[in-house]
Amino acid sequence: MLKSKTFVKKTRSGGVMKIVREHYLRDDIWCGSEVCAECKQESAVLQRDACIESNLCTYPHYLIPDTNVVLHQIDVLEDPVIRNVIILQTVLQEVRHRSAPVYKRLKDIIHEKEKHFYTFTNEHHRDTFIEREPGESANDRNDRAIRVATKWYSQHLKTSESDAEGLKVVLLTNDQGNTQKAEESSLLVYKCEEYIKSLIANPELVDRLALSSDDKNEITSSKVLFPEHLPLSRIQAGIKSGSFLQGSFRASRDNYLEATVFVQGEGEDSTEVLIQGLQNLNRAVHQDVVAVQLLPRNQWVAPSAVVLQDEGTAKDDDAEEEEEEKALRISAAEAASKPTGKIVGIIKRSWRPYCGMLNASQIKESTRHLFTPADRRIPRIRIETRQSSTLAGQRIMVAIDGWPKHSRYPNGHFVRSLGSAGEKDTEQEVLLLEHDVPHQDFSQAVLSFLPKMPWAITPEDMVKREDLRHLTVCSVDPPGCTDIDDALHCRELDNGNLEVGVHIADVSHFIRPGNAMDKEAANRGTTVYLCGKRIDMVPELLSSNLCSLRSNVERMAFSCIWEMNDKAEILKTRFTKSVINSKASLTYAEAQMRIDDTTMNDDITQSLRGLNKLAKILKRQRIEKGALTLSSLEVRFHIDSETHDPIDLQTKELMETNSMVEEFMLLANISVAQKIYDEFPDCAMLRKHPAPPPSNYDILLKAAKSKNVEIHTDSAKALADSLDGAKVDGFPYFNTLLRILATRCMMQAVYFCSGMDSDFHHYGLASPIYTHFTSPIRRYADIIVHRLLAVAIAADSTYPDLMDKHKQSALANNLNYRHKMSQYAQRASVAFHTQLFFKSRGILNEAGYVLFVRKNAIIVLIPKFGLEGTVFFDTKDKAAPNLVFDEEGPTLKVEQHNFCIFDKVKVTISLDASNIQHQKIRMALIDPVIPGVSVPAPDVEPQAKKPKLDR
Amino acid sequence: MATVQVSEAEKVYILHGIRDDLRVDGRGCEDYRHMEIETDVVSNTDGSAKVTLGHTAVLVGIKAEIGKPRPMVPNEGYLEFFVDCSANATPEFEGRGGEELGTELSNTLYKVFNNKHSVDLKSLCISAGEHCWVLYVDVLLLQCDGNLYDAISVAVKAALFSTKIPRVHISADDEGGKEIELSDDPYDCMRLNVENVPCIVTLCKVGHRHVVDATLQEKACSVASLIISVTHKGTVTCTRKVGGGSLDPESIFEMTEAGKRVGKALHAPLMKLLQQEESLGQKRQKVGFLG
Repeated sequence: MLKSKTFVKKTRSGGVMKIVREHYLRDDIWCGSEVCAECKQESAVLQRDACIESNLCTYPHYLIPDTNVVLHQIDVLEDPVIRNVIILQTVLQEVRHRSAPVYKRLKDIIHEKEKHFYTFTNEHHRDTFIEREPGESANDRNDRAIRVATKWYSQHLKTSESDAEGLKVVLLTNDQGNTQKAEESSLLVYKCEEYIKSLIANPELVDRLALSSDDKNEITSSKVLFPEHLPLSRIQAGIKSGSFLQGSFRASRDNYLEATVFVQGEGEDSTEVLIQGLQNLNRAVHQDVVAVQLLPRNQWVAPSAVVLQDEGTAKDDDAEEEEEEKALRISAAEAASKPTGKIVGIIKRSWRPYCGMLNASQIKESTRHLFTPADRRIPRIRIETRQSSTLAGQRIMVAIDGWPKHSRYPNGHFVRSLGSAGEKDTEQEVLLLEHDVPHQDFSQAVLSFLPKMPWAITPEDMVKREDLRHLTVCSVDPPGCTDIDDALHCRELDNGNLEVGVHIADVSHFIRPGNAMDKEAANRGTTVYLCGKRIDMVPELLSSNLCSLRSNVERMAFSCIWEMNDKAEILKTRFTKSVINSKASLTYAEAQMRIDDTTMNDDITQSLRGLNKLAKILKRQRIEKGALTLSSLEVRFHIDSETHDPIDLQTKELMETNSMVEEFMLLANISVAQKIYDEFPDCAMLRKHPAPPPSNYDILLKAAKSKNVEIHTDSAKALADSLDGAKVDGFPYFNTLLRILATRCMMQAVYFCSGMDSDFHHYGLASPIYTHFTSPIRRYADIIVHRLLAVAIAADSTYPDLMDKHKQSALANNLNYRHKMSQYAQRASVAFHTQLFFKSRGILNEAGYVLFVRKNAIIVLIPKFGLEGTVFFDTKDKAAPNLVFDEEGPTLKVEQHNFCIFDKVKVTISLDASNIQHQKIRMALIDPVIPGVSVPAPDVEPQAKKPKLDR
Repeated sequence: MATVQVSEAEKVYILHGIRDDLRVDGRGCEDYRHMEIETDVVSNTDGSAKVTLGHTAVLVGIKAEIGKPRPMVPNEGYLEFFVDCSANATPEFEGRGGEELGTELSNTLYKVFNNKHSVDLKSLCISAGEHCWVLYVDVLLLQCDGNLYDAISVAVKAALFSTKIPRVHISADDEGGKEIELSDDPYDCMRLNVENVPCIVTLCKVGHRHVVDATLQEKACSVASLIISVTHKGTVTCTRKVGGGSLDPESIFEMTEAGKRVGKALHAPLMKLLQQEESLGQKRQKVGFLG
């Protein structure tokens, strides 16, 4: 039967178009139930004994949720208890229209066999299709369609109920009108909450219910706390006219009453608008797209230097709040004021489920609790749960449902538990989730593109590749490295010159453009290294075996071979796909030993010495050109092989061989960057490091000035030279500290597509052009560079996306994002392991240096552990000492003592586990002694030094 | 124009018949042939009608689009006509054969219908000087068996009657920028008032008398015809003479009077029929083109 669907639509040019679609109705759409004898279905999805223990519905039944139930309660639907559900096409389409993520989750549930979810295409069924009636809104029509389909089901199952045990269908809806109409046509209908609460066997499901906004029993003072958000149409009009600005909301990590809105302007210029105070923040959550209105200029303020954390119990009375806000205001120095505004509306929420912990309410029987997210930028969320006693001490995920204007906190619901807090697996899961690191196992589709084992290089491969198996190639890596992506060789040529080769794993041979494995790798972007765990970008077979350039096996490589004279000048460069056979996989220490050991004279050692000699010259040349040597302390844990707990911690030491490998990698990267840029000026994937704006150096300049050292920041070269010259007598660590500070001033290096940008300069390396070529196993950018280079030397064919600068640019953005997140995840992992370490160590006394001075705290660096911590001077339970903060220094006067940057202090370090939410390293001052502020040095029993495990 | 060859003897027969108020097919001089009307036959138009008159068949579709009002009349919408003489109707229309006739027909239709006395053009205005509805009236000739004007005019009136224009709202923001907003209810439509829309009556001078709704044979015996558009009140809004022959003033007067009479008599049953069809609502069984 043919029907037509007619609707009118506005066209882009402002016209109105009438669109008619043909709509075919069928009589061969089956009901999907095992009970039904009428329908000629092959395999029924819905079970005969569809029993969920419920004291509302004691009979077997199928559930039909309406659209809003699916949208809001998808977490409940995902629970394995909920089975035998009929998803109507009407519902599915509406869900798809309203929320893509929920649609995806719903589709996933439907595909899961055990869930017995059946999609009934009621819109195409002859008996359940309805047309919209005059005066009926689209929503009413859909509600009616759902009711008609439910009615059809209940009658259909009744007629075919020869032996069925009174199987019924139950409509779940939260809509009052819909409920009423359904009851009028004698359908079984329940509110979702009602039904879920009736599930006797599974009381924990109730917690996963999302609070619906029409729930009148909300926990709120009736007082309106926030101004109303403007409707979208007003916002759009305001943005068009320029009275509002659109931007992404970024909450401050340190101060919950402060945030910035990043407004992307036209072209390069973009501004940041400061938002201060709860009222002005107006319920925006980190990363939302918001509309801001600028305040008049006389109300502009400066970002405060106070560290404020939203702590304590639920504050519904905001007396305390006002005080804190006042504290904010005072700091507003006139001169440093920035554009300040207030949020007038939310354009797009980007809420996701957040990891964190429960703050159990102090009232024992209460079911309402606050949830503190792990990410400090996310406000605390109010949830309802009956399992608070079980959930306390666990890491849980919570989703926000809404934030009414009379509620201090957003309302949310419990999603799932990740495990108990403090456990390594749980914490790892948390930090992967929080940093958006894709860490699921590789799907079958991805694995299907792996080469079949046993794998060997075929003669056809050999024909296309240069045979370099005879060369004395070796690899130098950190100990325990299994994904070896680079190997080196050096030999003397007959003409007295040196031939140096850098051989990089040929990952692009295995990962072909566009297949599932390629897409997965492009999405992951990078391998993430956590302490004791690696989240691979490509499946392990490739990363640790087929691509890894292990010793004494034949491996495919992409080689970059130079001919150099003994002044390390490049005479000739060539690139080729090759087959190599590495003679040795060395660690940095082993390589160093060989070089230093004069008794060894084998080929490998000779080769290493040649490389080392050239590397030194290259490094000198590079530094002369103005490359920066910066410093950041990297920590290495000695991990117990059985418990996997950190047992010792030391800062990484660098050896000559580290820099030897690094030099050649840099050289290869620069050579390749030049080559691909020459060949593809529009679509080369490059990496740049922009020069920081002069204002970034303020803190460095001030700090250096306090020790009477002058730093020039006009150019990278000037900076490098003045850093080299910066020395203070009797303070050998000063230079390192200064370099650490300098590192903090730098910008992020980023990937970009050469056709989309004109500034290629790499500031830190002082190179006019740079890319990443040398680690394709762990970075996707390198794979793209490999492909480009392969096309450039006619070793491989190209494909459209590779030459599309917009697609390349989008890819570069994703890679930049993933890199940033992986770095954060890495840091978080180190921080967590540091905590574990200090937990086992108890209280320690250490010497450290003041790295930054804040208004109410100093930040102290402990060089021994590469650890940074904050010493607060105003604690809540104690009367604050007399604090005078001078921004010029910057110095902080506490009672009589003046703190400035680089001061040497002694602190106690302990793990503060009192707040299980955020375990943190607590530092307290011992020396200098300030009465009422510093603490007496605790006696620390010198722990028996544990034997070091390696070296 | 479609023509038939008529021999002298036949002509005399027809002429004499008409002189005695008796036409070949048994009608009187002021009688129409059997007429069938169906509206809402093309779903992707905003209004449509199909009319058959004898063997003449025409289809009219109306599409409403948003356009800019004409500068002279900023607060009025307007109509555009296009007549497609398909070669289905008669082989003579093949290639560009129907073009001349099409232009002639659409010019006449434009004159008859596009004025504020016939259609309430002001109701088509959305915002003065900026937006108005333009009704594109497309006429498709399916079969030609004489008296195209009358059939087309009835079809246009029926189509206008059935036209449903989506209701739009102008939302003005604070800065005076205007945005057209569509209602989300497809049933929320504007209907046109077709009360004053005229119908065309073609009077064919055959011998000393004149006939309405001439067949092709009668047309062949005639030297000149008068096209008169008449409203339901009997007001003549437009007249035009076609054909090579001449008409004397007296017979023009006579023919106009007859046209008024016939036109008035045509409107009443037409409106009744349209309203009757409308009252059947959505569930009406459609006849369409195969019925």
